[in-house]
Amino acid sequence: MLVVAGSFLFSGCEQKDSFSASENEAVAYSQTSRIRGLDPGISGEVSSSLAISRLYEGLLQYDYLARPYKVIPLLAESMPEISDDGLVYTFKIRKGIYFHDNPCFPEGKGRELVADDFVYSIKRVADVKNSSSGFWAFNKRIKGIDVFHETSKDSAKTDYDFPVEGLKAVDSHTLQITLTEPYPQLLYILAMHYSFAVPREAVEYYGKAFVNNPVGTGPYELVEWRRNSRIEFIRSPKWAETGRMETYPSAGTPEEEAAGLLADAGKPIPFIDRVVQYVIDDSTTSWMMFLSGQLGSSGISRDNWDAVITGDKELSDSLESRGIKLVSSPTLDVYYLGFNWEDPVVGHSRDPEQAMRNRKLRQALSCAFNFDQMNQFMNNRLYPLDGPIPQPLDGSLKEASPYAFSLEKARQLLVEAGYPDGIDSATGRRLELTMELGSATANTRQMMELMADMYQKIGIVLKASYNTWPSFIEKMNRRQAQLFQLGWVADYPDAENFLQLFYSKNESPGPNHANYRNTEIDRMYEQIRTMLPSPERTAIYEQMAGIIIEDCPWIFLYQPMDFGLTHRWVENYNTHAFPYGMGKYRRINTAAREEWFRTYGDSKPDMTGDE
Amino acid sequence: MPVEKGQSLWSDAWRRLKKNRLAMLCLGLVVLFTLLAVYGEIVYQYHHAKDITPSYQMTNLDVAYEAPSTRHWMGTDGLGRDVMARLVQGVRIAYKVGIITSLIAIPIGVILGCLAGFFGGRVDDFIVWLYSTFASMPGLLFILAIAMVVPDNGLLGVYLGIGLTTWVGLCRLVRGEVLKHKEQNYVQAAKALGIGSGRIMFKHILPNILHVVIVTFTLRFPAAVGTEVIMSYLGIGVQGEPSWGLMIDSARMRLWQGMWWEMTFVTLALFLLVLAFNLLGDALRDALDPRLND
Repeated sequence: MLVVAGSFLFSGCEQKDSFSASENEAVAYSQTSRIRGLDPGISGEVSSSLAISRLYEGLLQYDYLARPYKVIPLLAESMPEISDDGLVYTFKIRKGIYFHDNPCFPEGKGRELVADDFVYSIKRVADVKNSSSGFWAFNKRIKGIDVFHETSKDSAKTDYDFPVEGLKAVDSHTLQITLTEPYPQLLYILAMHYSFAVPREAVEYYGKAFVNNPVGTGPYELVEWRRNSRIEFIRSPKWAETGRMETYPSAGTPEEEAAGLLADAGKPIPFIDRVVQYVIDDSTTSWMMFLSGQLGSSGISRDNWDAVITGDKELSDSLESRGIKLVSSPTLDVYYLGFNWEDPVVGHSRDPEQAMRNRKLRQALSCAFNFDQMNQFMNNRLYPLDGPIPQPLDGSLKEASPYAFSLEKARQLLVEAGYPDGIDSATGRRLELTMELGSATANTRQMMELMADMYQKIGIVLKASYNTWPSFIEKMNRRQAQLFQLGWVADYPDAENFLQLFYSKNESPGPNHANYRNTEIDRMYEQIRTMLPSPERTAIYEQMAGIIIEDCPWIFLYQPMDFGLTHRWVENYNTHAFPYGMGKYRRINTAAREEWFRTYGDSKPDMTGDE
Repeated sequence: MPVEKGQSLWSDAWRRLKKNRLAMLCLGLVVLFTLLAVYGEIVYQYHHAKDITPSYQMTNLDVAYEAPSTRHWMGTDGLGRDVMARLVQGVRIAYKVGIITSLIAIPIGVILGCLAGFFGGRVDDFIVWLYSTFASMPGLLFILAIAMVVPDNGLLGVYLGIGLTTWVGLCRLVRGEVLKHKEQNYVQAAKALGIGSGRIMFKHILPNILHVVIVTFTLRFPAAVGTEVIMSYLGIGVQGEPSWGLMIDSARMRLWQGMWWEMTFVTLALFLLVLAFNLLGDALRDALDPRLND
């Protein structure tokens, strides 16, 4: 999934809602990115996905505590039966799962979930009219889904009774998925929101307004959604009414056990009655709200870092004495600077000699990126990224990239590229490159100015063009960018998810926004996409990474480390690379919270960072 | 008009202005800011011509967020750049915005105002309708809309956005003045002599209402600077250059940690610039008003 570069996704900031102190166990989050829609089949980015996962559910989910990450059944009774050739997956669906009560159902009573709901939901993703951002997950994988995709182009109204060969409800509670080729990532895909169960009645009842009127089977129901401001969920009464019971996981790593994450093992979830989420753009505001206990947890913005974290990456004493806890975990996010392959200066060229010179230029630019400086700017919470695959996935590179920071090498490559000292012989002045950015916050701008300074050191002028996120995406899709900065958050823990970003058939408007084309990469990608995890596959991953590093369609910027703070009263808080739907495990200790508020203001936290 | 030596409108006004101590102080400040702006422009043009990156853009994270000292009189910002050097560049940007937007807005306002006042009738109706329409749109939103559609966003968007929206007030004033002058004897005489309308408007009437233009300029100059700062602060104004709005936006993040210098000095500079121009404008209005002849 795409993320705005430079923004720190932090999966949540839980909050005690100030006006609802009487209502126990209310929680709220703040986040900076806006929710764009609550339709599992269509909505794309992380913030929407987080909200959708409270309302809807899929066959599978990620285990909250198990590491490395693994998927476990959710609406499926058990993990699927897989045929020997790896092509047929048979799921038994749990009985007694009901949709939330909603006017779209007869008499407003939510009906039982059946296998057909999944067939319908996946067809919706394939429907051209929905222009879903998730069709890639099923395209050419599920038998006949491309035929459905094509036919949905023709008629004015898509015929959802048109069969898809590979999607079959054998009986009311058995779903069979037939693939065209082995798909090792299918189980991960089925835990993503594109595969969540959507009731056909609701889609037909609400039409275009379905995006605002979610009807799922999840632990929460939507109370109110004010776009770009506030969204509120309430515990669904349907679970208690139909006797549905989910429990907190009872196995975890020893570290998690030591952190008290198993205290609630086996207890029924969700723990929290009401969830309120705000969009707070200003990091200072949300930070102040966190300090005053209005938010239960918070990310740490770059500007607050020095005041919060000591040199040894520990929490400052004054915050610790206020009962604030620090949680950190590595992420599977990759941030990069992409070159548009169609740009005459930095992209590819028909003329092999020009293509070679452009490649040298890209390599030079890669060598000029000073990771240490960027890391210093970001408070040393980044990992260097030496290739397209982040740690610790199979295929991530062990040794440093040959195009890591080196000014001499950058200057040498520039000479070979035909820009000695950065001078463009066509104009007699320094080469000017324009970088597109998807936000214009102070942080993005400072980061950009820092990079412009890195590049002026080798005589290249880097100009910034700041866009709003929608117009940035528009430029990407129209391939108008020269350079751009983006991030990619793993959809599932497999390097294939990153390598597909270099597959030529995924070029813009697909996720290959660099529009990178390399027949060798394409061939290898087509080979690995059906391979199960094995040393041979890892070897091909490494080979692909090697070619990509040499070709340099991206400058690999960094892989961030995720840091967050929570108040003591927020319990069962575990960071997760796929945090979708994990809110149901969290708990608010009301006694501890009240105690905190009683003593609030007795001591003033020292926020200068001078201690 | 009878003109005696030392008794012209301008020397008269200057004499009156000199008596106003506060106005002279403001004039001094304006001159100071102007010199800074010229200096900033020279520095900028020098680096541009030599095709090198100026020092105020060079980062050094090791000296980030240093408090004011003898080495950096106004401290350093988050990327270790000297705040004072950037503040001076900010004066340059502010002046550019103030002057260029005036060059766009004042001709529009003066020409349309003259035409409307002089010809009356349909022409007047149309121009009054036009400026009423412009005035009915919320100013900042209108400016933002223009800045958004300018393809190469940045300074050009700021110039056009502010320039194309702020001529209304001046247009109204000029129209009113021209209406008044149209009935005066010297205009009637010129008409009787068969002089062309254009020549009457711009050769005869305009010099008599020039004080309105000058006063308007001194009052809208700081307003344009303020608008530019707001736009840049919101992230749709100046890009890649040290504008005051950008500096305030960057500085506010760490303000609560006690890093006050960037915010303080930039705000102070903005405050002084706006105050000086406004007070000077007021004083000029008094000085240039012929009815106050003593």
